Order: sequence, then C-alpha cells, then structure tokens
Amino acid sequence: MSAEPVNYDQMIACPQCDGLSTKPLLKEGQKAVCKRCGGKVLERKRDPIRRTLAVALAGLLLLIPATILPLIGVSAVGLFNQASLLDCIAILIANDYYLIAISLTIFTLAVPVIRLLAALYISWCIRMQRITPALVHFFRSYHQLDSWTMLHVFLLGIMVSMYKLVALAELSVGLGLVAFILLLICSTLVSVTLDKHYIWEQLEAGCEY
Amino acid sequence: MNTNSQVKTARQAGLGQCLKCHKLNVITHKDQRCSCCQAKVSLRKYRSLEYTLAWTIAAIIAFFPANLYPIMIFTSLGTPEASTILSGIKTFIQLGMYPVALVVFIASFIVPLGKMLGLIILIITVKTGSKVDPKHRTQLYHLVEFLGPWSMLDVFVVALMAAVVNLGFITSIEAGPGISYFALMVIFTMFAAESFDPRLLWDNLDNDD
Ligand SMILES: [Zn+2]
Ligand SMILES: [Zn+2]
Repeated sequence: MSAEPVNYDQMIACPQCDGLSTKPLLKEGQKAVCKRCGGKVLERKRDPIRRTLAVALAGLLLLIPATILPLIGVSAVGLFNQASLLDCIAILIANDYYLIAISLTIFTLAVPVIRLLAALYISWCIRMQRITPALVHFFRSYHQLDSWTMLHVFLLGIMVSMYKLVALAELSVGLGLVAFILLLICSTLVSVTLDKHYIWEQLEAGCEY
Repeated sequence: MNTNSQVKTARQAGLGQCLKCHKLNVITHKDQRCSCCQAKVSLRKYRSLEYTLAWTIAAIIAFFPANLYPIMIFTSLGTPEASTILSGIKTFIQLGMYPVALVVFIASFIVPLGKMLGLIILIITVKTGSKVDPKHRTQLYHLVEFLGPWSMLDVFVVALMAAVVNLGFITSIEAGPGISYFALMVIFTMFAAESFDPRLLWDNLDNDD
C-alpha cells in the first residue's frame, strides 16, 4: 500500500492550495472538499445540461427588453425623461466618456450575453453529442468571463440612483427594470446550473487529441 | 504537526493543475500546453507576484485622480456644481440620507482601499514567508476577489444619472473626469486579483519539510 499513485487521471489537485487527493466518485448534487484548506475541489450538479439550456434561453429572451426598455424615468415641472441601458451608453459616448461607455457595454451587456450564448451553445452541443475541438477552445474562453459580469452591481446602481432621485424629482419605474432583474436572475442561475467539471469530462472524452 | 504536512501537493509530484479545466499535467518543459484544453499550464501562475504588484501600484496611482477630480457635475437652473466621491457622500449625510451615504462610502471608498491593502498584505506575506495561517490568507484573497466588481457601483450610478436626469435648463447631470480614473482603478485591482496565485500562500508550508 506504500506505492505512490501513478495514474494522474485518478487524482485531482485543489485549485486553492495545490493539495493532491484521489478523485472521489460523486453522485449528482454532491461535492468534495479539500482535506488541506477546506475549499471545494469537485462538484457534481443535478441535471446540468437541461437546466442550463432552459435558464440560458430564458436569459437571452429577456435580453432585448432589458436593454432597450426604459429602466427608470424622472419628471419635474412638466418635463419628463427616461433612460434605458442603451441610452446610458449612448449619452456617455455623446459626452466623450469612451472608457466608461466601453466598461458599461462590456460588463453589463457583452460579457453577460456571451456567457449566456456560450452556456446555451455548449449545453446544446453536448446534448446533441456534437463535440468538436473548436468547442474546447470556446469553453476555455468561457472561464475567463466569470469574474467580469456586473449585472448585480448595475442593479445596486439603479437602486442607489433611485434613492438619490427621489429627493430631486418625481420618479417612475420602467418595464425595462423588471426585464433587467429577471435577466440578472437567469445570468446568476447559469453559474449555478452549469457544471464545468462535467462539461470538461464530456469534452475530453469526446475529442481525443 | 498537523494534517497539512501529510497532504502531498501537485507541485511536489511534478504536476501542474490546469487553471481552466482542472486537469493535472506532468510538467516537463516551459510553455507547456494542457493535454485536455490546450491552455498554458505550469506549476504556478507565471510571475504571479510581479504582475499582482504592478497592477496594484497602477490602481494606487489611479486612486488619487479618482478622488480629487469631480465624478459628477450637477447643473440646476444654469449653475453647475461639481462633486467628488467624498463630497457626494458629505451631501448625503447633510440631507440625512444615511443608508445611501453608508452604501456609497463602503462601495466606493472603503472597498477599493481595502482591496489594495489586502493585495499588498498578500504579496508581502508570500515574499517574507509569513507563518500566518494560510487558511485565513486564502479567505482574504477570496474576499478581495469577491469585492472586485462591487466598486464599479459609483461608475454605474453616474452613468445612469447622467442619462436619466436630462431635463434641459431645469436640471441636468453630467459625468466628470474623475469617473474615468475611478473605473480604471477598479479594473486595475481586478487584474491584480486575477494575477495572484492563491497556491503561493500554501507553498511556505511545503518548504518546511
Ligand atoms: Zn485545498
Ligand atoms: Zn486544461
């Protein structure tokens, strides 16, 4: 029993502390924790493909109303103005605040959209058993996006703005806000339902180099 | 001493874990690619401490113009009034809007400062081989990582206010130059956190044996 483990395919390392352990066989819904640092090493999610397909599709459908419908509006002395996410970006560009316009576009629009599209496409390909080497590169880029989605921060921004505006003018809430909140929920749920370990296993098995 | 020393690390076994797909690779040469996903794979992130320090310094530099320049220009009946992050919070306090004042103060002042301080602490403890429990320092790293996007709050508030409050001569809000520096600072700290390799926090333990 003193022999060193040689088969690395049966081993797994902790992403936080590098501690090695043998890959546990998990049932759906179980997770494995690192002996050394207590961090999560492996997780198997329930019904990952079908759930991800449903949530990502719902998110993409909500995308257009969340972007073009007005989020909030103000009125004072007979004047009225409202703004959607797209208006915010347009006004920043008009005032030459390109860096902010680009940040806003990337963090609240581009990244969430690409994440939803990627999750939908990958889940669909795995369901249809159409695994290609290109898919591997595609899913690799998906990992980069996780920390750069800021829909939740934008929602807090909307709430702070509303609180500020109440003192200033009469406030109205647009349909865009409802769509935006639902989009945020779908975007968050995708990270909950999507099982990265499972997808990598499928991708590795599906295309041998 | 404790169970920590009994766990073998992937590095001691000559294995490098792919940060994208979590597969273990036997490290044989520089610029090696992962056998599963073709991402670059090595024992530790490349020049992790140097990159983290560089991004942190860039963030500290951007912190000053971000706080000194106005982030928002409020025009009421033709008279413009510029406000910086701190003067905006002061106005909230004067108006008795304590909850918003607290949220904005935490998100746009305490959190960025805390993030930069946290990153410097992490770099120093790795460099000096600190004996402080790596578990706590890993928690600090996760906190810095988690807080990352939340400091974008003020950027989004300004963008939204500038788009919504646009009632011509009566009242209008415009973004100020400080907001661009502020966004840069937040992005720099996020790059810094991304460059840091939490496994470095645990490497001191291995060297003792
Ligand atoms: Zn661990
Ligand atoms: Zn890989």
